[in-house]
Amino acid sequence: MIIKCPYCGPRDVIEFTYQGDATRTRPNPASTDQDTWNAYVYDRSNPAKSHREFWLHGGGCRQHLVVTRDISTHIISSVVYARDYIHAGGK
Amino acid sequence: MTSWRLPNGGRIERAKSVGFTFDGKVYRGHQGDTLASALLASGITLFGRSFKYHRPRGVLAAGSDEPNALVTIISGDVREPNVRATELEIYDGLIVQSQNRFPSLEHDLMAVNQLAGPLLSAGFYYKTFMGPAIGPLKSTRFWMFCEKFIRRAAGLGKAGTVADPDRYERMNAFCDVLVVGSGPAGLIAAEAAAATGARVIVAEERPVAGGSLLASGETFDGRNPAVWAREKVDALASLPNVRFLTRTSVWGYYDGNILTAVEHVSDHKPNRTRGQPRQRHWVIRTGKTILATGAFERPIVFPGNDCPGVMLADAVRRFAVEYGVGAGKNVTFFTNNDSAYDAARALSMAGVNISAIIDVRSDVSGTCNDIANVIGAELLLGSAVTGTHAGKTLSSITVQHFNAETGRISGAPREIKTDCLGVSGGWSPAIHLASQAGGKPEWDEDLQAFLAPEANQNWVVTGSAAGYMDTVSVLSDAATKGSANSRLILPTIEASMLDSSPAPIFEIEPAGKSQKAFVDFQHDVTASDIRLAYREGFHSVEHLKRYTTLGMATDQGKTSNVPGLAIMADIRGISIPEAGTTRFRAPFTPVSMGVIAGERYGDLRPHRLTPMHDWHIANGAKTYEAGLWHRPMIYGSPGETIEQAYTREARAVRESVGIVDVSTLGKIDIQGPDAAEFLDRVYTNMFSTLPVGKARYGLMLREDGIVFDDGTTWRLTETQFLMTTTTANAGPVMQHLEYYLDCVWPDLRVHLTSVTDVWAGAAISGPKSRAVLETCVTGTKVDNTTLPFMGIVHGRIDDIPVMVCRLSFSGEIAYEVYTGAGYGTQLWEALIAAGKQFNIIPYGLEALGTLRIEKGHVTGAEIDGRTTAHDLHLDWMLSKKKAYVGSAMINRAGLKDEHRLSLVGLISLDNQSINGGSHIVSDKTPREPADSFGHVTAACYSPALGKYIGLALVKHGTSMIGKRAFATDLLRDKHGAVEIVSHHMFDKDGSRMHG
Amino acid sequence: MADLQSPLGVTFIPGNHGNAAGGTGVTLQERKGISLVQVTAWNNTISTVLTAIGSATGVIIQNTPGSGRVAGEKSVFGFAPGRFMVVGATPDLEQRLRAAISTDLGTVIALTHGRTIFRISGEQVEWVLAKLFAIDFSEHAFPVGAGRATLHHDIHALIQRIDSQTFDIYVFRTFARSFWLTLGHAAEEVGYLVE
Repeated sequence: MIIKCPYCGPRDVIEFTYQGDATRTRPNPASTDQDTWNAYVYDRSNPAKSHREFWLHGGGCRQHLVVTRDISTHIISSVVYARDYIHAGGK
Repeated sequence: MTSWRLPNGGRIERAKSVGFTFDGKVYRGHQGDTLASALLASGITLFGRSFKYHRPRGVLAAGSDEPNALVTIISGDVREPNVRATELEIYDGLIVQSQNRFPSLEHDLMAVNQLAGPLLSAGFYYKTFMGPAIGPLKSTRFWMFCEKFIRRAAGLGKAGTVADPDRYERMNAFCDVLVVGSGPAGLIAAEAAAATGARVIVAEERPVAGGSLLASGETFDGRNPAVWAREKVDALASLPNVRFLTRTSVWGYYDGNILTAVEHVSDHKPNRTRGQPRQRHWVIRTGKTILATGAFERPIVFPGNDCPGVMLADAVRRFAVEYGVGAGKNVTFFTNNDSAYDAARALSMAGVNISAIIDVRSDVSGTCNDIANVIGAELLLGSAVTGTHAGKTLSSITVQHFNAETGRISGAPREIKTDCLGVSGGWSPAIHLASQAGGKPEWDEDLQAFLAPEANQNWVVTGSAAGYMDTVSVLSDAATKGSANSRLILPTIEASMLDSSPAPIFEIEPAGKSQKAFVDFQHDVTASDIRLAYREGFHSVEHLKRYTTLGMATDQGKTSNVPGLAIMADIRGISIPEAGTTRFRAPFTPVSMGVIAGERYGDLRPHRLTPMHDWHIANGAKTYEAGLWHRPMIYGSPGETIEQAYTREARAVRESVGIVDVSTLGKIDIQGPDAAEFLDRVYTNMFSTLPVGKARYGLMLREDGIVFDDGTTWRLTETQFLMTTTTANAGPVMQHLEYYLDCVWPDLRVHLTSVTDVWAGAAISGPKSRAVLETCVTGTKVDNTTLPFMGIVHGRIDDIPVMVCRLSFSGEIAYEVYTGAGYGTQLWEALIAAGKQFNIIPYGLEALGTLRIEKGHVTGAEIDGRTTAHDLHLDWMLSKKKAYVGSAMINRAGLKDEHRLSLVGLISLDNQSINGGSHIVSDKTPREPADSFGHVTAACYSPALGKYIGLALVKHGTSMIGKRAFATDLLRDKHGAVEIVSHHMFDKDGSRMHG
Repeated sequence: MADLQSPLGVTFIPGNHGNAAGGTGVTLQERKGISLVQVTAWNNTISTVLTAIGSATGVIIQNTPGSGRVAGEKSVFGFAPGRFMVVGATPDLEQRLRAAISTDLGTVIALTHGRTIFRISGEQVEWVLAKLFAIDFSEHAFPVGAGRATLHHDIHALIQRIDSQTFDIYVFRTFARSFWLTLGHAAEEVGYLVE
C-alpha cells in the first residue's frame, strides 16, 4: 500500500504507523461522564467502506495524517495533515 | 524416448562446451543450455520420481510451468531443492541431484507406493490420521508413528541444514510503466510506452528476451522473429528511459501498484564477483503495469499421461528450435486445437520425424491438413490417446476413436510406436498477476480459458495473456496498451492461418479400468481423485483444492488448474465458469527466503551504540541487547560469576561511588510558548510550576488510565524542557506526544525533537559522588546549596561543557552528568580519573537493577501496560487540580478494585534466589495447577540486605505485608518460601540520597 | 576543545573496498567539523523563518516541501512542514540562528552531536542508495539541493542531494556505525572508496 503524504509525496506503508480511528472526538477533558469517555477510548467503527484514520508518518516527516481509505479495497481517496483536519472541525 | 542433440539449430553456443554433474555422473552441454535441454541432448529422459507414487517422470514443459523435472542444486553443504530443470542454466561445475528417489533414480524402492495407490488417494491423510483414537491404525497418534516414513516416501526435494552462505539484496525501483514479459506483446508495448518519454522497466523471467518469438515459425518483415526480437531488445535497452531486466520473475502484485520481482543475478555463473548478490529482490512502484505475460499451454488428461516422453507440444517445439534438441526420434502429437500443427511443422523443419497427429476433432482446417501432408505425418481425426506403454520412458501409445460431442471412446485400440508425444490441450492466458491484484477471472468460451478480471488498479493485459492468439492482433493490441496514441509502425507478419481455439475436451476417460490419468503432476493428483472428492462431498473449487491438494504444489497449478476445474464441472453437470476458479496467490514462481530477507542477513536489527560503547568493551563489559541498544550488563573480572560481579558493583555504589552509562535514556526536546501547559496536560503532575534550572519526576498515563511511562523532565529555560523517558519507551512516548499535539491540541505552540542521540549521559552514584564532582567540575559549585536534590547546574569537566542534574535511581546521592555525544568518551574517562581516589567503578545494568529493586523503584517490568498509579503506590503523583491524559478514566471501579495486584517486596526465606516470572502461591509444595495470587516482576541478590529479594505484583498487596507465601516456577522447577514486605526494602525514608 | 569523536570507531577503514576490480562505484565519507541546527517555524511563520535563516546564513530557500539549497559547506533543506536543517562549518551557527529566530517565530535546537552525516558520491550513487531506501533517487524526482526524510528499516534518515552524483545522509548518531556498515555492504558490488 502506498500513502501519499502531503509533505513527502507517495511512500510505502512501512514508513507509516496506524494511529487509530479519526472519526472520534475527544470529550471535554473536564468531563467525568463515563459513558462518553468509554465510547471515546474503547469504541471503534470498522466499516467495510470508506473510513477516516490517523496515520503517523514516522518514517518521514513525522506528521500525523488523516487518511480516507476504503477498508475493503485499500483505495485511498484523500490524505491531509491531521492538524488541518482538526482545525477544520474534524471534517 | 530417445532424445538427442540435433545437428544444428538453437540459440545455444555450440562452440562452448559446459561440464556439469547430474546424480554423480558428469555430462556436457553447451553455453545457453538449461539443465533440461542438456540432459535431453545427452539422452536422459528420466528426471525424477513423483510426489506420492514415485512414478518415473521426465520433462513436461520448457519453462517456469514445469511440474515434474525438479532438481536439487548441491554446493558444498548447501542444498537448494525444487529448482526447475527447465529454468536452470548450466555452468561449469554445476552439481545437481534428482529428487524423491531412494536409493537411486533408476531403482526406486518407493515405487511400491504405486501398488498402494488406492491407499494414497485424495483425503488419505485426513481419513487415516485425524479424529479420535479408535484403534491402532487411526488418529494423530498413528500419524506420529508413521510420519517419519511418510516424509521420506512422499515429498519434494530435501532442504539443507546449513546456513545459506549466499548474498541477497533488495532494490527499490520507480517507473511510469512496468512491462511484465518481453514476447511480441511486451516488446511492442514497451516500445510504445518508451516513445512517450515514460520511464519504463521491462522484466523478463527467461535469460533471453523475446518470449514466443524465440521459437516462432512466422516471419517479421520477412525475417526470423528471433532476430527481430533481439534487435528490438537492443534498441530498447539502449534508451535512457528504459531498464531491461532479464532472468527476472515478477512474482507478486500488491496494493498501490507495487510489484515484486526476483532477479537471478548470478545463479547462472560458476563464480561471483565480490559483493555480487546471487539474487536481487526488486520492489517496483509503477504508475501503470502492462501484463504481457503470455499463455501457458495445458495438457490433456488421459490414461498414462505422466510417463517420460509425454510432453507439452510447445515444449517439444521449444527444445528443438531454441536448444537444438530433439525430444524424440519418432514424435507424435495429440491435440484439441491447431497450435500443435505449428509445433509439428517446426519440429519437422528441424529434422525430426513426425509419424502421426492425433486430433480429438473430427474435422480440421485445410491448413492443418496441408501441414500434416507436407511433413508426412498420418492424421488421425476424431481420435484420442487412451493409454501409453512405457518402461522408464515412452515406447508406444494406444489410440482409439473418440467422439468429441459425447466424449465416448469406441473401436479397436491401435498401437502406434512413438518415443515422444507432444500434447496440446489449448492455452491458458497467464493471468496470475492480474488475479493476485484482485477481481474474479472471466471465462472465455472461445479460448476455453479464464481471462484477466477487470482492472482494479492501473494495469492492462495485452498479447496472449489478454487472449489474443494471432500475432497481428497481439501487436496492434500491445501498441495501443503501451500508449493510447501510439504511432509505431508494426512489422508485417507472415503466418499460417491457424486457430488456437480448442475443442472443449480436457479429459479422455475410457470406460472401465485404465491407467492413472494425472491432472496435477507435481502433487500426483489424478482425475479419479477429483471424482473421489466429488463423491465425498467436496464440490466447491476451494474444497476440491484443499482436499486433493490440486494446484497447491510449487508450480501453483500452472498446467493443472483448468483441466482440474473442467473435470469437476463435468461431474457436477455445470459449466466451468459456474464451477468458478480459485484466486492465484503470490508468488507466481517459487522465491527463496534469502532474497526476501535481502540485506538483512545475520543481524536482523541495527545495533544502537552509546558514545562510550567502545570504552565498555575495552574494559571488560559483557553486553546484552535492550531493544536495539547494546548495553553493559556487568564489567566482570576473571573467574567471577554474573551474580558475584553485579553484587560487587552494587556494593561499591552503596559504599563509595560507581558510574553507569545512561545515554540510552530517551530524551525529547520540548520547546515553545505552550511547552509547560503541554506538560501539565500529558503528565499526571504539575510542570508549569517547575522553576528554571530544576527537574521533576513525572508520570504519564494512557488515555485509559493505565500507567504509560515515567521519567524526569528538566526545565532549561522558560520555554524549553528536556524530557527523559525510559530507554524502552523513548519511541512510543515521542509518538504519544506527537499524537496529542497533532490530533488533539493542534493550537498549542510546542515543538518536539528527539535528542536522545545528542547527549551522552553518565550517572555517578554513591556517598562519594559529590566528592568526585568537586574534584573535576569547573565553572560551578556542586555543593548541596548550589546543587540540591533535583537541581541542575552548567559547568565544565576536562574543558568540555556539561550539564549536571542531581537525581537518584539507586537511592544514593547521585548525579546525571550530560555532555554532547561527541564528547561522551572524554567525559566518561575524566569522571573515572576524578573518581580514582574514591575507587570509582563502572557498573552495568544488573547492578543498576539490583539498586532499584532494593529501593522499590518501578521500571518496564512493573509498568507493564496493566498497572495503575495506585497499584504502583504512585498515586501521590496524581494531581487533583487539573485534567490530564488518563485522568477521566482512573476512577473507574475496575481500576480501584481492592482485589487488584499491587506492588510489594519479597524476601527469600530459604536463602535461595527467586526466579523472575514466578507465581506467588500459598501451597507449601509445588502443585499444578496452583492458585496464583501474583507474580514476581524482578529479583536479585541484595548486597545491602544480604538476602535474595524481589519485587512482585500481588493481590491485596499492602494487606499481605508481613505474610509468608511461596514463589513457584514450575517451568524451571523452583519453589521457595518468601516473606511479603514493603517494596521499599532499603533506606525507606530516603535519607541517603538527600544527604 | 577537542574534536568530536566519530561514532564509527574501528569500522572506519580508509581505502578501496568491495569489488575494486570493477572500479570505484562510489566514495564514502563522514563529514566532520560541521554544525547542524534544526529550525522549526510555527504554522504561520514559515516564510518569516526562511527569511531569518537567509539573513543568518546567506542561504535562502523556497517555501515548498523538501526544497533546499547547497552553497559550498553550507546547506539548508526542509524535511517536514516548517522544519529545516541548517548546516554550516561555522561554530556560531546556533547562536546566529537563535539571535535571528525568537520563540515567537519558532524554535532552534543544535543537533551537531546527535546526527552523523555521511557523504556518498560517484557514478553508482543512485544504484547503491536504491538498495537501502524506498524513495526515487532519479534527478527529476529528487533535484539538487532538495531534502527527504525516509527510513532504512529501523534507521531514520534525512537525505539531501548535493549534486547529480552526491548525497548527504543524516542518521541518528547511535545508529551511525550500524548504518555505515550497511552502506559499505550495499556498495561492495560496485566497489567503493572510503576517504
